[in-house]
Amino acid sequence: MSRRAAVRIAVATLAGSALVVALLPALSATEMQQARADGEALFRVHCGICHEPGGTGTFMLGRRLGVQHALLEGREDLKAAYISQVVRHGLMSMPRFTRVELPDDELDAIGGHLSMRSTAAGGKP
Amino acid sequence: MSLVLPPGVTRAAFDAALAAFAGVVGRQWVLASDEDRETYLDIYAAGDEADHAPSAAVAPESTEQVQAIVRLANAHRIPLWPISRGKNFGYGGSAPRMSGTVILDLGRMKRILEVNEPLGYCIIEPGVGFYDLHDYLTARKIPLWMSIPGNGWGSVVGNALERGFAATPYGDHTANICGMEVVLPSGDLVRTGMGAMANSRAWPLFKHGFGPSWDQIFVQSNYGVVTRLALWLMPQPEEVLTLTMSVPEPDDLGWLIDVLTPLRIRGVLEHPIGITSYLSAATTTSQRSEWYQGEGAIPESVIREIMSKRAVGWWNFTLRLYGHAEINQARLNVVRRAFAAHTRQQFQITRWSAANPTHGPGAPAPTVAPLQMINWHGGRGGHLGFSPVVPPEAGRVLEQMHATRRRYDECGIDYSSTFYVCGRHVTNINLILYNRDDPHMTANVHRLFDALVKDSAAKGYGEYRTHLSYMDQVAASFDFNGHALQRLNETVKDALDPNGILAPGKNGIWPRALRKPTGSP
Repeated sequence: MSRRAAVRIAVATLAGSALVVALLPALSATEMQQARADGEALFRVHCGICHEPGGTGTFMLGRRLGVQHALLEGREDLKAAYISQVVRHGLMSMPRFTRVELPDDELDAIGGHLSMRSTAAGGKP
Repeated sequence: MSLVLPPGVTRAAFDAALAAFAGVVGRQWVLASDEDRETYLDIYAAGDEADHAPSAAVAPESTEQVQAIVRLANAHRIPLWPISRGKNFGYGGSAPRMSGTVILDLGRMKRILEVNEPLGYCIIEPGVGFYDLHDYLTARKIPLWMSIPGNGWGSVVGNALERGFAATPYGDHTANICGMEVVLPSGDLVRTGMGAMANSRAWPLFKHGFGPSWDQIFVQSNYGVVTRLALWLMPQPEEVLTLTMSVPEPDDLGWLIDVLTPLRIRGVLEHPIGITSYLSAATTTSQRSEWYQGEGAIPESVIREIMSKRAVGWWNFTLRLYGHAEINQARLNVVRRAFAAHTRQQFQITRWSAANPTHGPGAPAPTVAPLQMINWHGGRGGHLGFSPVVPPEAGRVLEQMHATRRRYDECGIDYSSTFYVCGRHVTNINLILYNRDDPHMTANVHRLFDALVKDSAAKGYGEYRTHLSYMDQVAASFDFNGHALQRLNETVKDALDPNGILAPGKNGIWPRALRKPTGSP
């Protein structure tokens, strides 16, 4: 299994869908860990310049939604589908990302990373 | 974003072309869904994004694939709009000039092919971002410093090809290009300068080559697709002295120009010096409604409140001295003497040294922090830059500043400006911020921009760079001898690109089939 394919499955797995549960056996614990790390690493590369502490996106979100919602990695209300929508269509002052800059599988991994808290809190992906 | 076909191309012919492109790059790198098209629109457009709508995108990963795509574009008569990373914010982003054009997205070509430390250069592909090159240099502890513009998200190559600049000694980015590899509109491949020798050892070292020098015709043009480029990088200096000062009144700009220009021309100061108005201290840290909720441009009382609360002057600037400590000290003495004739203020000075690198600002690092200004009005923000080149004479600069400010006031837009003292010229970046969802405001933005282009042209000042929507108007303002430059540009265009497939309308240069009288479609 390619690293990116492992990421894709792991991300979906984290979202907890029945379809993905069937794929689970193909993914070792190490691969799961790697997939989580990839989502986080990809977030750092593609999103971190704006959405880490002190970043432009963090600043703007804090202004619009309050500081408690400013940091994406601290949010418990983010769903992977919403992340995908914002990344491809933009939001307020945030530009859109093309599939060349951020391919679908990498976006999926980032969505998985950012929706982990939501999933852990009992929400749907 | 629904499909807009290129002019004169049927849906069947368009689909056939995309299928041919897919044969080169693979189906996954031909992006033609409604969502794909939307991702290439100009998200900060002051008008309708659909004015510059791409029909699709194709993303090669190698020079050979670029050649193949360009040849197919000729065969199928499909126009291509090359982008490096598509972050040309304020000038159109990744969108094409002409609707229906296919984006040639070079973002997958992101190899750093060579970095030479002792000779201070890199050879890179167009997809390499400022962050990528910075990460590469810092991870390997290579003591070469980059010159990075205000938006550090973009492409190093793309920025140099658009004549981007920054406040560093290597800040005239296009001037630091030393050799290119270019796919011509025919699909042929050339290397410029010394790189025209198959076994050249001096390609990134000597700019001119033998015979005509071609690098600059591929800058801000549509004569070729640059697939790699050599760029000079600055050796890490022994020391950097950073000097900051603010002045309280708008007309203080005049004496600043008179003091700084000879220091730049004589080489005492070696970088473009940005003299920035008070407003940037507010736009990057707050929203307009926190200061003023009335109609029209911000009144004088609010200007003074911002200056007071943000502890800034009407104009604010930073000088940096890069080099050996003994030389910096001598230069500092000369700078202080020049300023003493006009002000009793002393510079605030910080010192960075290679021996003690944790103290004070050292190597430039990429940032996108200035993009916070887009949120000045709230809503979906946008920005445009109006950027005339003005002689560095106090009278002319003050006249330009006051005339520009009056136009901003007439249109109810907050004046925000930086005058970059670059030696024998001043590049005046006027920032226009707006809420894209306020049609009254965006109408005023266009009224303002149109007036500024006309006012400046009447005084003999042209822009160094402009947004897609104003390329024809600005190109038309270069009108010596009945637009002789336009005729030359078109002659070259028709010779190199007879089918007109490469970036139609880029900087006002249209291929014959799409041209209207006087080069102004």
